[in-house]
Amino acid sequence: MTKRKMYFRMITASLSRRRSRMLVALLAVAVGATILSGLVTIYYDVPRQMGAQFRNYGANMVFISSGADEKLEMKDVEEGVSFIDSKSLVGVAPYKYETVRIHEQPIVAAGTDITQAKATSPYWKVNGKWPEITGDVLVGKAVAEKLNLSGGDSVNVTYSEGEDENVDDLNLGFDMKVSGILETGGSEEDYIYMSMEDMEGLAGEGSLDVVELSISASRDELKKYEEVISSNVSAIEPRLVKRVTQSESTVLTKLQGLVFLVTAVVLVLTMICVTTTMTAVVTERRKEIGLRKALGASDKSIIREFMGEGLLLGGIGGAIGVVLGYLFAQFVSMNVFAGSISFVPLMIPITIGISVLVTGLACILPVRSATDIDPAIVLKGE
Amino acid sequence: MFFRMIRGAFSHQWKKMIMIALTIALGASIATAMINVMLGVGDKVNQELKTYGANITVVPKSSSVLSDLYSMEEGEADTDAYLKESEIGNIKTIFWAFNIVDFTPFIDTNVKLPSGNDVKLKGTWFNHHLELATGETLDTGIRNLRTWWDISEGEWIDEQKESGDLKKVMVGKGLAQKQGISAGDTLKLAGKKGSEELQVTGIYEAGGDEDDEIFAPVETVQKLSGTEGFVSSIEVSALTTPDNELAEQAARDPSSLTIAQYELWYCTAYVSSICYQIQEVITDSVAKPVRQVADSEGAILEKTQLLMILITILSLVGSGLGITNLVTASVMERSKEIGLLKAVGAKDGSISALVLTEVIITGIAGAVAGYFAGFGFAQIIGHSVFGSSIEMKGFVIPIVGVLVIAVTIIGSIPAIRMLLRLQPAEVLHGR
Repeated sequence: MTKRKMYFRMITASLSRRRSRMLVALLAVAVGATILSGLVTIYYDVPRQMGAQFRNYGANMVFISSGADEKLEMKDVEEGVSFIDSKSLVGVAPYKYETVRIHEQPIVAAGTDITQAKATSPYWKVNGKWPEITGDVLVGKAVAEKLNLSGGDSVNVTYSEGEDENVDDLNLGFDMKVSGILETGGSEEDYIYMSMEDMEGLAGEGSLDVVELSISASRDELKKYEEVISSNVSAIEPRLVKRVTQSESTVLTKLQGLVFLVTAVVLVLTMICVTTTMTAVVTERRKEIGLRKALGASDKSIIREFMGEGLLLGGIGGAIGVVLGYLFAQFVSMNVFAGSISFVPLMIPITIGISVLVTGLACILPVRSATDIDPAIVLKGE
Repeated sequence: MFFRMIRGAFSHQWKKMIMIALTIALGASIATAMINVMLGVGDKVNQELKTYGANITVVPKSSSVLSDLYSMEEGEADTDAYLKESEIGNIKTIFWAFNIVDFTPFIDTNVKLPSGNDVKLKGTWFNHHLELATGETLDTGIRNLRTWWDISEGEWIDEQKESGDLKKVMVGKGLAQKQGISAGDTLKLAGKKGSEELQVTGIYEAGGDEDDEIFAPVETVQKLSGTEGFVSSIEVSALTTPDNELAEQAARDPSSLTIAQYELWYCTAYVSSICYQIQEVITDSVAKPVRQVADSEGAILEKTQLLMILITILSLVGSGLGITNLVTASVMERSKEIGLLKAVGAKDGSISALVLTEVIITGIAGAVAGYFAGFGFAQIIGHSVFGSSIEMKGFVIPIVGVLVIAVTIIGSIPAIRMLLRLQPAEVLHGR
């Protein structure tokens, strides 16, 4: 018991008495540990965060009706969606297309869930406002130019089944308000969008034409969902949007590889840097080692004591590094992705473990070489 | 005498000096590699994002944008407005020509299959060889703009293998399955202006509407629809800079800019300025960004660059602290030597000069070695991630040099000052 107490006292006394040098060594370990825990946390979290960014490209899976006789209805969609992890689901936007008439011109109208459409197609640019209440309609840019519409205008939308001119007179249609003009640079500019309720009021209830899903998942996971849903829900034929899924996996793999390599290179170099600093600090104490040996200390006890000091330094430095590294990763995540980073508890033992290992390794080499030499030579100075 | 002392320090304490040089070299190599990767990552990721296909479409000015609608209605796309095929090459002559990666024209028509079904036939370039008025030549076409297509049977149409009239088509997988078409078959397509016997070279899987369409070389489609020399749209894939406020304002109305703003906008590779320049060289055209690709590209590029900048800053701070630390430690170690110098009457100024010179010489040696090591690391990252080398920017050399010298001086000055404050007798006695 007393022996252990003495050992502990020697270590702490050595650390506190040689304050400036120990501060230098502690700083080196802490910097290394910060870089380690910060970069590794970022490396773990980047795929998730980057994956979320790639959802900007829009839907990566669509549901269509599995056959001409099958009707795709909202309850089938809900059943299909229940197979997908709700956390990775970004949006599910159902679409129902009908041809309507505005100023006697045939226009394709889509009924959808506006908030979900916003989530699945973040790249839609609306000049004006998104439709908020029923009776609002979002008009594609090309349609707006053709019909000379602008935000705030009121339009009369009529629908007639079978395109029969005579029936038109019977259907007075709806007066709807243009809430905004949609700009995408694609075919969406040729359509108008309204809420599903309005669409059903206009054209009656019916099956959905297509459901767009935006899922934050890798290509393999998506393929699994595709299989599960097609075998469990008979009305749905799920399809991956190849352009989005394939390109995403290509680019995301590269980005992950980039962060991985950068992390690896920086980590290796930093660890070597920590080792050299620690070595320099310990080498300085060759004389002390010689003196102890001359006084009769055994090699083993000297090594044990130095290792104890190194491990204590490594532990404290590692603990500081865990905190600072997490703060750094959080800072990066907030600035780059505007979202909080998930804390990986495993990083605590990993960071502290590696710092202890590196400092221990850095101590043992110079101590070994000092204990191997005759104390007389060491004390004399070279 | 001064030089002799320095030479002496290097020859006697070479082990210690090597240690310092090694640490500085490590720090400098991190700095070099990270700064270069950070500067190059934008271009590299931009190139990778080209797999998403075109980010600009060019269509004729008059109302043909609605052809999509009419075709939905009547099953017949017929518009008067076309773009001139002869002008397509002009895209590669605009101010930002270097940023145009690929482009391909499209011409659509509806044809009848022998079974009586109507299908959409799209004419395009596959790997078209183009000779520009400027004397440049290039190969461009749909192959690079549809990287996600899988050729499930047969192969791509090769426009360059045989010149002249190519009687070939590629059929979408969905259509091929419905009609029982496979690669090698001969298909008789009847268009508005006659019919052609065409050989199916391949079946592709596109995972979208294109699975139910047929693709053929431009000339074939023009002959079938009687639109020789014309195309209906062009897809362009260009490397662009993410949009900012100026670009958005310019996209709405370029004439609202001041002359200085206009110059800045015109000479930056914003998607809107590239669109504007394309409109200048193609008669009666409207070039518009495909927001799905253009917007997302900007977002991802910005995020990646910001991420790399922050990682770079962390590693720079880390390596800076590492160097400072080691320099402080190794200077403090020399308390006895400095005490002796003071005891024999050396002035504070000359002692500082001596120590600093030693450290800086070591630092420069380390920095040079570190720069080349960093060069190697940057190339390893470039080649293994992007399969191409990372351009080493010349101005990184002075940045790294200044950084290393500043960090070594900052590291040594407090230690030197601390040692100078000590009494020589005390130091020599050993505390």
